[in-house]
Amino acid sequence: MAPVMRDSVAPNHAEQGTAPLMEGICLCKRFGKVTALEGVDIAIRRGEVTGLVGDNGAGKSTLIKILTGVYRPDEGELRFEGQRVEFASPKDARRLGIETVYQDLALIENMSIARNFFLGAEPQRKVGILNLLDVRKMRLVTEEALKDIGIAVRSANDEVSVLSGGERQAIAIGRTMHFGGKLLILDEPTSALSVHETNKVLTYIDEVRKRGLAVIFITHNLYHVYPVADRIVVLEHGRKVGDFAKDEISVDELVQIVSYGAQRVARSARQQ
Amino acid sequence: MRIKALLGHREVGVAVALVVVYVVFMSMKKEFLSAGTLGDIVTVAAELGTVAVGVSFLMIAGEMDLSVGSNFALTGMLLAMFITRFSWNPHLAFVVVLACAAGIGALNGLVTLSARIPSFITTLGAMMFWRGVALYLTQGWPISVFADVPLLRWLGGAKVYHTFHISAVWWLIIGAVFWVTLQKTAYGNWVFATGGKRAAARALGVPDTRVKLVNFILAGVMAGLAGCLQLGRMGSMSPVWGQDLPLEAIAAAVVGGNSLTGGVGSILGAMLGAVTMASIRIGLVMVGAPAYWYMAFVGFIVVAAVALNVRLGEVISWHR
Repeated sequence: MAPVMRDSVAPNHAEQGTAPLMEGICLCKRFGKVTALEGVDIAIRRGEVTGLVGDNGAGKSTLIKILTGVYRPDEGELRFEGQRVEFASPKDARRLGIETVYQDLALIENMSIARNFFLGAEPQRKVGILNLLDVRKMRLVTEEALKDIGIAVRSANDEVSVLSGGERQAIAIGRTMHFGGKLLILDEPTSALSVHETNKVLTYIDEVRKRGLAVIFITHNLYHVYPVADRIVVLEHGRKVGDFAKDEISVDELVQIVSYGAQRVARSARQQ
Repeated sequence: MRIKALLGHREVGVAVALVVVYVVFMSMKKEFLSAGTLGDIVTVAAELGTVAVGVSFLMIAGEMDLSVGSNFALTGMLLAMFITRFSWNPHLAFVVVLACAAGIGALNGLVTLSARIPSFITTLGAMMFWRGVALYLTQGWPISVFADVPLLRWLGGAKVYHTFHISAVWWLIIGAVFWVTLQKTAYGNWVFATGGKRAAARALGVPDTRVKLVNFILAGVMAGLAGCLQLGRMGSMSPVWGQDLPLEAIAAAVVGGNSLTGGVGSILGAMLGAVTMASIRIGLVMVGAPAYWYMAFVGFIVVAAVALNVRLGEVISWHR
């Protein structure tokens, strides 16, 4: 690594707001002869929801796995808060505040909401020589944190199994916010939900954005991401084929790009 | 509201089963409800229950141990051999045999976790292997300690009151420690999470593999300790004892609200399960029924109590 590379970009992004929280620059990833990602640039900003769309196999999950430290890119670099970073494991990414909520891995059904909320970061209190769970604090803090983003639960001691899919997503999102996450990555958060539940989850995402967190929303349903997104990045066969601010493009144009391929859409646009 | 909260507990099924067992035997023989009988029951429950506590802790983490019966017999025999044939200091021997029991548990865990095979298979193999070793040690003969060894008296020989043996005290202490660990510590939270959904637990930084290994070791230690308690109470150990123990321990656990697939369970439930089974054993003797009925009766209770638990669970969630 050339040391000159380090924070060479930092001065340009000195002001808050314009400086991306996280950047991927010219990311490439190959698996044997298959190129999963080629030269993808992406910038994630605070207080913005970035929709990441594309068909199956477009490279969405490869890109996310690079951003969260599951894979290391073959080429290209990652920057977080202006600093060049390299992740040896997902733990490194989490330490910086990059949290992923997976659709079916978010919560453990047979445990209470509070036990889920604090899993892996349990508050403890000393009783004599013993370190015991602070059960009361777990319940109170969980209820408080959930109320804070507009999620009402009957009791944080209820099992997660009594909750709907949307409520489960909400609790996983609330957990990320509570533990100081800076970048929240949602992997298909709405794909298994009813219309009503989807709308609820979208309001929670909106709430997260208002708190100044950056959000990446991965989906192949454009109609879910368009209402909440500030930016939409389109991947196709491992390349970035579109990167639009929402006001630059309509949902119908986006649908065209994702379903018929960027080149064909561009060609037909030129012919008109 | 109160009643519903009470019914929501996992121990309800086993509590009902225990009451039914008591009512049935009392109506046949009213001496069944006496301190003397209760002492006999708790004494039998202590040995089975010590195994059941370890097994249910492991089951909640999503694994199984079928080798606890062989571990029980082998550990008890080793303790007897070290004391009688090798004239070891009994306390040293006790520590060494518990370490052996832990080693058997650790081996179960290491093989299961590194070969990525179901613990049902690993411990089925271990059950046969260690039974074979136990049989080989004395060529199939039981081994007895005739001398008065204070350690053995302390483990199970002494009576604290009436027919109550001291082994029951150790069992209650062990049960309390496991209960607190499971319900009131961060480690207990990890145990539930590891058994409930391992990948999700791992994603949140829970050391799932280490949790499972530790619980395998604890199940081994508890099985070995139960063997020592029985040696203390009876003064002898046979290499063919404890063959039904794995299934009895699992039965006590599931009657008490543990799931075979992990993630849910109760230490108190497993302990009450052990008391229920011990009550059946003692009760059948008291009413003069052939001991063969024990297994039949237990089989009936297992199915009925689990069915009741599931039914109650449904009722509770409907009324939420």
